[in-house]
Amino acid sequence: MDRRDFLKKGFLYSLSGSLITTASGFFSNVFGKGNSLPDLVAVRGSDPVTMYKRGIDEIGGMSRFVKRGQTVVVKPNIGWDVPPERAANTNPHLVKAIIESCYEAGARRVYCFDNTCDNWRRSYKNSGIEDAVNDANGQMVPGNQERYYHDVDIPGTKKLKNVKVHELLMESDLYINVPVLKHHGSTTLTIAMKNLMGVVWDRRFYHRNDLHQCIADFCLFERKPKLNIVDAYLVMTKNGPRGTSTSDLTRMKSLLISPDIVAIDSASARLFGADPNNIGHMRIAEKLGIGSLDLSKRNIERVYL
Amino acid sequence: MNLRHLKKLRIIVSLVVFAFILLLFIDFSTPFIDSVSNFFIRLQLFPSILRFFALFFTISGLGFLLIILISLFFGRVYCSSLCPLGTLQDIIIAISKRLKPKKKKRFTYSRFSNRILRYGILTVTILFWVLGSLFLINLLDPFSNFGKISVTFFQPLIYWINNSINIVLENFGIYSLRPLDFKSLPLNVVLVSTVIFLVIAILSVWRGRLFCNTLCPAGAALGLISETSLFKIAFNEKACSGCMKCEHVCKAQCLDSKNQFIDQGRCVSCFNCFTACPNNGFYYKYRFAGKNNFTDPSDNHGKNRRNFLISLASATLAIPIVSSNKLLAQSAGAGSIPTGTSYPVTPPGSLSHNHFTSKCIACYLCVGVCPTNVIVPSFFDYGLEGFMQPKLDYHKNFCNFDCVKCTEVCPTGAITKLSKKEKATTQIGIAKFMPESCIVVVQGTDCGACAEHCPTQALQMIPYNDIFLPEVTPELCVGCGACEYACPTEPYKAIFVESNYKHKEALPIEEANGPREHDEDEFPF
Repeated sequence: MDRRDFLKKGFLYSLSGSLITTASGFFSNVFGKGNSLPDLVAVRGSDPVTMYKRGIDEIGGMSRFVKRGQTVVVKPNIGWDVPPERAANTNPHLVKAIIESCYEAGARRVYCFDNTCDNWRRSYKNSGIEDAVNDANGQMVPGNQERYYHDVDIPGTKKLKNVKVHELLMESDLYINVPVLKHHGSTTLTIAMKNLMGVVWDRRFYHRNDLHQCIADFCLFERKPKLNIVDAYLVMTKNGPRGTSTSDLTRMKSLLISPDIVAIDSASARLFGADPNNIGHMRIAEKLGIGSLDLSKRNIERVYL
Repeated sequence: MNLRHLKKLRIIVSLVVFAFILLLFIDFSTPFIDSVSNFFIRLQLFPSILRFFALFFTISGLGFLLIILISLFFGRVYCSSLCPLGTLQDIIIAISKRLKPKKKKRFTYSRFSNRILRYGILTVTILFWVLGSLFLINLLDPFSNFGKISVTFFQPLIYWINNSINIVLENFGIYSLRPLDFKSLPLNVVLVSTVIFLVIAILSVWRGRLFCNTLCPAGAALGLISETSLFKIAFNEKACSGCMKCEHVCKAQCLDSKNQFIDQGRCVSCFNCFTACPNNGFYYKYRFAGKNNFTDPSDNHGKNRRNFLISLASATLAIPIVSSNKLLAQSAGAGSIPTGTSYPVTPPGSLSHNHFTSKCIACYLCVGVCPTNVIVPSFFDYGLEGFMQPKLDYHKNFCNFDCVKCTEVCPTGAITKLSKKEKATTQIGIAKFMPESCIVVVQGTDCGACAEHCPTQALQMIPYNDIFLPEVTPELCVGCGACEYACPTEPYKAIFVESNYKHKEALPIEEANGPREHDEDEFPF
């Protein structure tokens, strides 16, 4: 079996796997207590891990998303070679807790990677995420070489017709998007949709071809995050996305969980103090029918700890 | 002490030194390896001398005194034990010996002592250096050449093996090996390294340590000292049975067993003769001990001096050529305004172009250890005086803000040591923004890749129509090139770093006051 075969088969297996899980999710939603579960959970007032544990319970537990024997990719933001206290990357303790709960739900293997902006080795190490993933028995995977990324077509998009996506995203049964809420010099905010720029190879293409449009376009890709978890414990409110010091941060002590990427971006933007309708990629995503920025009709569970 | 063991000792020491220096060059880094390797690098002749002057008579640059001292006592021990290129030649000699037919394995005494050639090269090399060009050191110094060979051949080989194993393992879901990114080396540099490697390999297979006794300026310098060393390897006349075994193992071809003569200037102190002699006929002889079996003909000294003077004189003739080149290179820079393309960006800690180009021996240790591969060898970018010296290429990558690796390893002091804090305000260049070729202006869409990557906020996005446009605050810029690397425009970047001919100080980042507390309790949705 050569590499191409291996990838193809892996992809088919994972596709059939995901079909089964979506089907089972559908049935459990229709016949189970699925209807009463919230669309979005917002937790406030404690440390990231405590907020996560409470939040994931409220949204139906990790077993609602991860089934026994599945392989999972957890995709945090590991873009920068800065220590955890600078909050330019996702909180490592949170990443660890998420991986642990995936295993508790029966996951066979949990992977973690990012196509970093700064040097990948230093970013993995100094963000504290590599150690956190290893502690949780997860598998840290490199994202630094083009050979990991394979061409996929995305129908229905305006700019991002095809893109090279990390093979693990295709091979594993599901992936969980774990961005950190931050200010961003050019896109104003970087949250869940923007975090998915870290699963593709050529970021420059986005920048060259209408950044906001490409970020939204990618949300039409068939492989969507099963769950989004926004780390808003320490929020970089200026000088983002890299930040220069801890002075850029505000301690918001919040965490948001939702399977709906547009809803969670909308809520996180509000939390940040911005109007999601003013943020290009969010507005475009709504127009593309990926989701609604309007939160008034959504079932939101607010938890204050 | 039984002097027969000296050879074993030499082999062990040389292999240990060789292994550690090689590990550093192929970037196999642990704190232990780094500290041991760095110690051995302090004991390299020309790097040490350059370091001594580059860092204003630093103690860490005193390694050369030790080498000279050892040479004054015992001859060219450096050449056989401490010089990594010497050991590389020994390894090549050992391998080739196994492949050669029996008769050709033997070395024989070479009457031609190459004195004029080697001292001539030494003199010209020093003259070039005095006049400000390290051209010949960069081309001939053994440490520099060992570095070039390591970075051009050994590192890619190790990386290739690592990556091949890695690909196999990854198919089984094992990610314990990390994929390594190859350094990008310009073709002409690879070509020069290849020629150097071939010349050294061919010379050593053909006639042992011929390179060390003809082309190598370090070998020549130490040879000059060794001719008058206090202790010399000498024959015990009574023990000699005329079997010539000693002569046949002499890599330097400096041992004439018939006349029981050793050319001390060429002897690299490999101690092979000690072990080869069945009668233990070799010993270290005090220079001023009795005259009975001192075999060096006395007129030889006068000849040496004469040869040295001849070569000095002939080298003096080269001065006008060198200096005129120097002037040419300077006048090209002095009047014109430097831009990112007119002068290469030198590594942080290298103080200025003049400091860097006059101290760097192009050993490529910084190239080998740079985690982002932004340091790449150049060819004639610095002119003749900076032949093959490395530069920062922001089209390949950018300089990591918190990394000081190159400043820690530089053996010559061309790159002085910087702490993370010092580096954070070291301005090696300044970003120049060209709005007329920026995505934001031309296409009217958001981009900001440059500002996103800027570690100091020297680049900030300011409102522009309904979107954001980059703006540079030069005082905050350190010239790391992150903006230039990230800029997606093709084929030319809309932002580039203009090199600082003399490095400057950037404003420090505002002091960290810690996060603000959030005063709202309810979610705003």
